[in-house]
Amino acid sequence: MRKSILAAGMAAALLLSLTGCGGEETVSHKGITDTNPDKGLAVMGEHVTYDPNHLVNGGEPVVLDWWLWDAPDLFGSIAEEYEKIHPNVTINIINNPWDGYWTKLPLALQKKEKGPTLFNVHNSYQHLVLTYMAPYEIDLEDLKADFFTAQSHEIDGNIYYTDFGVMTGAIYYNQDMWEAAGLTQEDIPETWDEFREVAKKLTIWEDGKLVQAGFNYNGDFQNLLLGVPYQFGDTLFKEDGKTACFTTDGMLETARMLVDFYEVDQVGDEDFGADAAQSFGQGQSAMVYKWGHHYGYMQTNYPDIRYGTFEIPTSDGTPFAYDRYNGEATPGINKNASPAQQEAAQDFIRFYLANTGIQKELCMYYSLFPANNSLRDDEELKENPAIRAVSEHIEEYIWPGAMPSTVESNLGIAAQDILYNKKDIEKTLKTAADIVNVDLANTDFTSAESLYYKYESKGE
Amino acid sequence: MFKKKRPLQSKSEIVLRNIVVIFLVAYMSVFLLIPIIMAFAGSFHLWNPLNGTYEWIGLDNYIRMFQYPTFWTSMVNTIVFCVVVVFFRVLLGLALAYAITSRMTKHKTFFRTIFYMPTVTPLVAVAFVWKIMYNPQFGLIDQIFGLDINWLYDSVFALPSVMVMTIWKDFGYAVILFMSGLLSIPSEYYEASSIDGANAWQTFRYITLPMLKPTMIFVVITSVISYLQAYVPVMVMTEGGPGTSTFLSSYLVYDQAFVKYNFGYASAIAFFILLLTAVLTVLSFKVTGEKA
Amino acid sequence: MKKRVMNIALFVVLLLVGILTVVPFVWMVLSSFKTNAEISALNQTLLPLEFTLENYTSLQSNFNFLRYFANSVFIAVVVTALVIYISCLCGFVLSKYKFKGKNLIFGVVMMTMMIPWSVTIISRYTMFMEAGLQDTYLSLILPVMVSGFGIFMMKQDISGLPDELLEAARMDGANEFRIFHKIVLPMSKNSISAIAIFQFLWVWEDYLWPYLMIDSEEKQLLAVGLTTFNGRYATDYGGLFAATAISIIPVLIIYVIFQKRFVAGVAAGAVKG
Repeated sequence: MRKSILAAGMAAALLLSLTGCGGEETVSHKGITDTNPDKGLAVMGEHVTYDPNHLVNGGEPVVLDWWLWDAPDLFGSIAEEYEKIHPNVTINIINNPWDGYWTKLPLALQKKEKGPTLFNVHNSYQHLVLTYMAPYEIDLEDLKADFFTAQSHEIDGNIYYTDFGVMTGAIYYNQDMWEAAGLTQEDIPETWDEFREVAKKLTIWEDGKLVQAGFNYNGDFQNLLLGVPYQFGDTLFKEDGKTACFTTDGMLETARMLVDFYEVDQVGDEDFGADAAQSFGQGQSAMVYKWGHHYGYMQTNYPDIRYGTFEIPTSDGTPFAYDRYNGEATPGINKNASPAQQEAAQDFIRFYLANTGIQKELCMYYSLFPANNSLRDDEELKENPAIRAVSEHIEEYIWPGAMPSTVESNLGIAAQDILYNKKDIEKTLKTAADIVNVDLANTDFTSAESLYYKYESKGE
Repeated sequence: MFKKKRPLQSKSEIVLRNIVVIFLVAYMSVFLLIPIIMAFAGSFHLWNPLNGTYEWIGLDNYIRMFQYPTFWTSMVNTIVFCVVVVFFRVLLGLALAYAITSRMTKHKTFFRTIFYMPTVTPLVAVAFVWKIMYNPQFGLIDQIFGLDINWLYDSVFALPSVMVMTIWKDFGYAVILFMSGLLSIPSEYYEASSIDGANAWQTFRYITLPMLKPTMIFVVITSVISYLQAYVPVMVMTEGGPGTSTFLSSYLVYDQAFVKYNFGYASAIAFFILLLTAVLTVLSFKVTGEKA
Repeated sequence: MKKRVMNIALFVVLLLVGILTVVPFVWMVLSSFKTNAEISALNQTLLPLEFTLENYTSLQSNFNFLRYFANSVFIAVVVTALVIYISCLCGFVLSKYKFKGKNLIFGVVMMTMMIPWSVTIISRYTMFMEAGLQDTYLSLILPVMVSGFGIFMMKQDISGLPDELLEAARMDGANEFRIFHKIVLPMSKNSISAIAIFQFLWVWEDYLWPYLMIDSEEKQLLAVGLTTFNGRYATDYGGLFAATAISIIPVLIIYVIFQKRFVAGVAAGAVKG
């Protein structure tokens, strides 16, 4: 009985794998020779330009693998658009699970030309993949002229990847609760003091039990700690750009302010919803601090909640900087790919960057403020509440650099120690900085904070 | 008539023995020894195989490990976790296996299948289910018992919550093994004991338990070993939090290796765990009363 | 009368534990018919308010579910069969034969269970790459076909086999291979069933190693597909639960097949004693 079932299972699986292999071969041998260099198409882009009217790889067939961790349809459509212009180039989209992507990608790149030619990058993993990347063959000044964050990605006079858009935090508020509390557009707070008062009005306690939180930051404490101290003119890293310092006045002040929101003002509670985003979606919390991806999260999970956004409040209305931002990166190119693949990849990247339609689509998809300057005033992008809230002062947000994950994870631990384990704020943050610094000493990380245009006036 | 001991080993016995020994030695060397030696060497290096970093730093990884407060927290947590979960796994497993195999029980197959359900469900999915059940706002547990406890974010309750989930997930394994053990006890033993007028407890204490010793050893040792390597429940449910209060040592290894990519440091911790496992295994053999 | 009360009490206790056991499980299966918003809604209901099959229908579009599923069944069956055979063979030799270094070998086998995978996986990866085994099923089978757990279990079990039985067969002129196949294997059904059940699940669940080794989509395994539900910012609970609910089925089938062996094992147990 058992044997027959085993045998049947094996036979079935074998059969399936055989038919599968057959199918694959027909696909990978597709490839057309392109003989028409001048297709009479328009040149794209402003400074970084792309002229489609040329042959890639002499028109001979070439195949590129492009690795991603999400949105295969979106990236697939970009690849198709390019393939239409250059039919001899085939771009295979390979979608990977986010779990494990950063382990498998570097290992695959160690296989040299057998690895992917193009791969999506996240700057917090730059230290893992930079050694495998080829610099973009695009004039640096052109890139900087078109992409406002490109400068921060310059490494020894080269750019290996840049941002197509940037994401940062904003306050999301529930409009029904806002109106129910008698608040209007006039009440949108600009300082933390005003914010506190609004939060109090939005809080509802019934019989000693919190039923509606005015402000919920559960799960976001560390993100606020990474951004709000900039408002006070304090940076995360010391002048050397390599030593983390979490006990600056700004950091301590931020931590105390957040704790006071819960303990003194009682506008929320650390046990009220494990996760602020979910609590907001469930209509239990009136305001949350969230990054741009919250827009997509609400759209997929809680489309019925009416909400608006506003910029993060500051201490006095004229901050050193508003918050931290982080970029979503353009693809990297495998420096060990074959010359034909590299030529095609470089050509594709130029197309990808110069094509504002693609740049816009990417920013729409991820709710990002566009890095491409020509999209800055795009009305359609500004309709997205996540983008609108941060548009006005986007120059006054700081990118701390390609921080290894130890910074965020240890601040996350510190945040929980302060919030849930009621540990001393200063001691906890000091410990976190010590652990981070041991880790950072083993990397060649240097902060990008000093690139901020007001860096010289920090601490004033 | 004949002595049990045979004077000569047969030819086929020698052949079979050699096949097995050569196979095992070769297999272990290739798939175990080489990776372990590589990892051991790595524990003295600043090692990140993903970007090609490999620099000799002597004992730094080990020194750093002993100075890292979370390392000690995780060690204490691991031992507590192991002892408590193994204890309940054995207790529940044995009690339920005994109850199911009892002549009084009907629907044996039904219960057996029910108890085994959690064990066949992939751990990641199960951990997500429990994470939702522990939610203070809408979780099943607070709703059923009318409590208001933030289970996974309270340094007192977080680790026990993870332990409860693990016990739920795994007790079926022990049920199966103990049933298997109970069913292989020859019925003559029970008949003999009932003729001697032993009561149920005496029968259990003097017949069943001693006969189950090999099963018991097996369950305890494989449990200890697998729990020393458990990290998925913590990864999904608490990420070690709140603070570092649910860090288990294997989660620390996973976190250092696959989140922070400090493979040298992770290896150093892993070798310490290996040492601990070896000690605990020998201890378990001692406690359950058989030489390794 | 007393016996009857005991019977009922026992049944009630078992039933209670049984209910506690299945609640999370049932909850998961029912949730796979809910939308994500409903899974984490404030007002929880056991049955879906808004019954949806979308979590199931979108499985195939997320990744090639059926294909991955078939691959996983194939690998799990092959590995389980190999592990059983190798474990029995090694368990037999390590328990019934006397030779120098036996305990050392057994000790090393035990050690295989104690090494955290996170430490050796990268070295192993490098080795397999150099051997040119990437993207082959051999690379998934080789590292797991010897199981310390299985050998340990079979050694424990076979050491309980009466030596007289083996001696008698030897007297009849059977060689060791015949003894192994005709006596030892059939008499170890209980333990074999247990190994089959456990091993199948372990192969079924393992994700990182197959993900690292397998490049082509059409060879990928189901456990790797399941991780796509855990995205960078959020987890798709509905999709995960639906995929999990389906992915449990083969494991349950294996369980149902082999648990019958337990019953058969009772009869075998009588002979064995």
